[in-house]
Amino acid sequence: MPSSSPASDPDASASESPPDAAPPPSADAPPAADSSATLGTVREPQRLHPLTLLLRVGASLPALVIILLPTLQNPSSENALSVVLGLLYGLVALPAIVMQYLRFSYRITPQQIVIQKGVLNRKNRSIPIERVQNIQIEQNLFARLLGVAKVNIETAGSSGTEGSLEYVGVDAAHEIRQAVRSFQHRTAEAPAPDEDTDDPHRDTLYTMNLRRVLLSGAFRFSLFYLALIFSALELIDPELIVERVLRSEGRIEQVTDLMTAYPALAILGSVGTAVVLGWISGILVHVSRYYGFRLWLDDDKLRKRHGLFTVTEGTVPLGKVQALILRTNPLMRAFGWYGLEVQTVGTDVNEQGHRVIAPFVQYDDLLPLAQRIRSFDLPDQFRSVSPLTIRRRFFRYSVVLGLALAPLIYFWPVTWWHLGGVALPWWGLVLVPGLLGWAVLQYRHHGYKQRDDGLYVRRGVLSRHLWVLPTEKFHVFAATASLFQRRLGLKTLYVDTAGAASFAYPEVIDLPAGEADALLDTLYHRFKTLYRTRIEAETGDADTRLSPDERPRLPVEHTDAHVSAPSSPPTDES
Amino acid sequence: MEASSPPAAVSAAPPDDDRIRSLDASIQAVWRIKLAGLSLFLLLPVLFYDLTFLFSPDPWLPFGVLSGTGLVVGTAFTLLWPRLRYRSWGFALWPEELYREHGVITHVRTVVPLRRIQHVDVSQDLLEREFALGRLVVHTAGSRSSDVVIPGLPLPEAERIRDEIKRFILEDPLLEDPV
Repeated sequence: MPSSSPASDPDASASESPPDAAPPPSADAPPAADSSATLGTVREPQRLHPLTLLLRVGASLPALVIILLPTLQNPSSENALSVVLGLLYGLVALPAIVMQYLRFSYRITPQQIVIQKGVLNRKNRSIPIERVQNIQIEQNLFARLLGVAKVNIETAGSSGTEGSLEYVGVDAAHEIRQAVRSFQHRTAEAPAPDEDTDDPHRDTLYTMNLRRVLLSGAFRFSLFYLALIFSALELIDPELIVERVLRSEGRIEQVTDLMTAYPALAILGSVGTAVVLGWISGILVHVSRYYGFRLWLDDDKLRKRHGLFTVTEGTVPLGKVQALILRTNPLMRAFGWYGLEVQTVGTDVNEQGHRVIAPFVQYDDLLPLAQRIRSFDLPDQFRSVSPLTIRRRFFRYSVVLGLALAPLIYFWPVTWWHLGGVALPWWGLVLVPGLLGWAVLQYRHHGYKQRDDGLYVRRGVLSRHLWVLPTEKFHVFAATASLFQRRLGLKTLYVDTAGAASFAYPEVIDLPAGEADALLDTLYHRFKTLYRTRIEAETGDADTRLSPDERPRLPVEHTDAHVSAPSSPPTDES
Repeated sequence: MEASSPPAAVSAAPPDDDRIRSLDASIQAVWRIKLAGLSLFLLLPVLFYDLTFLFSPDPWLPFGVLSGTGLVVGTAFTLLWPRLRYRSWGFALWPEELYREHGVITHVRTVVPLRRIQHVDVSQDLLEREFALGRLVVHTAGSRSSDVVIPGLPLPEAERIRDEIKRFILEDPLLEDPV
């Protein structure tokens, strides 16, 4: 679409499409084609979409239901109090919602996004345009029905969302994104993206059909969602359902008789039920999250869109990818399935603090896909850490097992199960050889490889991670040695990268101390060389700041001792 | 090492400022006061427990054993620990990086490239202000060790280091985001 200079004359046609116009019925309607005509509309202070009121009232209804719960369950005069409370709630909440709506405004100028909000506490937030990393458009089920969307503005500096517009019309949302982008591109003196960049079919990298989403969910087992389900069940009295299903056909007695006769069966039964429920809930959560997953490349940004009820659109600028993470578990691996995640700064991360790029992909497709994001060369062979790690791990696991068993053994009542003359928990010691095997497995699956382009670390037996850490994204270098590690002459190496906190970090655990220090030196040296080369390429000269007199140094009391030898880096490899 | 070697005349004396420096010795006093407060705070419940059994006819332990042990352990800890901690500390500001090593139980060596620093603070708490000490806090965008702290610097020194780091960042010829 050859619109020569969008946003160059924004005020001329400001009245063409007021943002409060009725939204289109469908969520995936294309954004306004002629963006230059609509940019001006967001320059003036804007209100949110009027339907926001309806959605906010709807969102406050659960609170009302909880207040009215006693009356709903037992409508008698004793519970009249909750009705009064409910009325009071309405008297407070509804005006608050209206006031919030009236006092919220946003505008987007070529320099910044300004959001003013707050009824009692006025807040005025300006976000510089060039700091905006990502404009995320999110629609949950109700928002989709009403044709509105939530706009999240993410910046690099903060870990959370810097500002969010909840809700604006769908086309207004796309307009905002378009406006921000064209402002950004103008400052970068690059041609503004005229094309309709929301077309997901342009350069599709990866899609998931329903079958694959189901399969992907089936391969992931999570007790996490199960716990959520159980906490939800607290509210709706599951016994009622069980009774209706079982007692009506007289089967409940049979089941209870069986359970009391064979307690082991009862335990097995509940564990089995938990596993099946966890499995099913994992599938359901997966489907609702990743339904219609589509990943495409838009210029230098990865864009993705997925979700069944809540449709999420995310953007990952390729240059902002800090690390690639390839994940799998033994079951998925047996069938050749992997997951690809990246580490970035910003929100929209999964439980691990990473951004999911492809939840479920075959190995053959994985590498080309990952290479599109960042070129790397996966090593065939990884270097192992010190075998002493087996000893440390075995010792640690044994201590944990001992600590778990000791109170059980001590307090085990005489009347409870005794097998072979000793209390049952003693038999837990049978697990000790298993712990040794587990430690060996951990050792076998832990390895690293350093290359010119970065550091590769893999770790984990059940949840397997492979980190690809590019040299240019290294952040902080650390080598640590705990008390026990020092006794064995071991160290743990850790190269930090920018991103959110996570459960698993790319540590190289239990390297021989000398090797760890040498590795840290090598990695830091590579990092430094890379940036020196870049500075030389940029300025045509070596880093001018580093002339002897200009070098930052510790302040010395006697400033006449001025000249210094070229300081050696901390990481002298010799 | 590679280029721009200074005149040979100065290479006789090793440069003062490349060595790993220790913190200001008075930080030990700050740590000691803090530890003493903590030990007292922990000692109180023990003392109270001891007192409740003061008039018990059949005490589990003679009066004062528990709180006495607590007092001795607390005192020893308060006296020794800051010393060990102080000894484990070292830092240096090199041309392109901030180097730090610390930790009594777990030794940690950290290298923070200056170009990765998002911003730098110098902070003081009440005690540190009393001793004219500053705490250098270096913020990076890292996922885990995002704040690198060097406590116990004389305030002017901390401020000077902060300014040096700031200057390095401002003069970075590479126009790219730190993240």
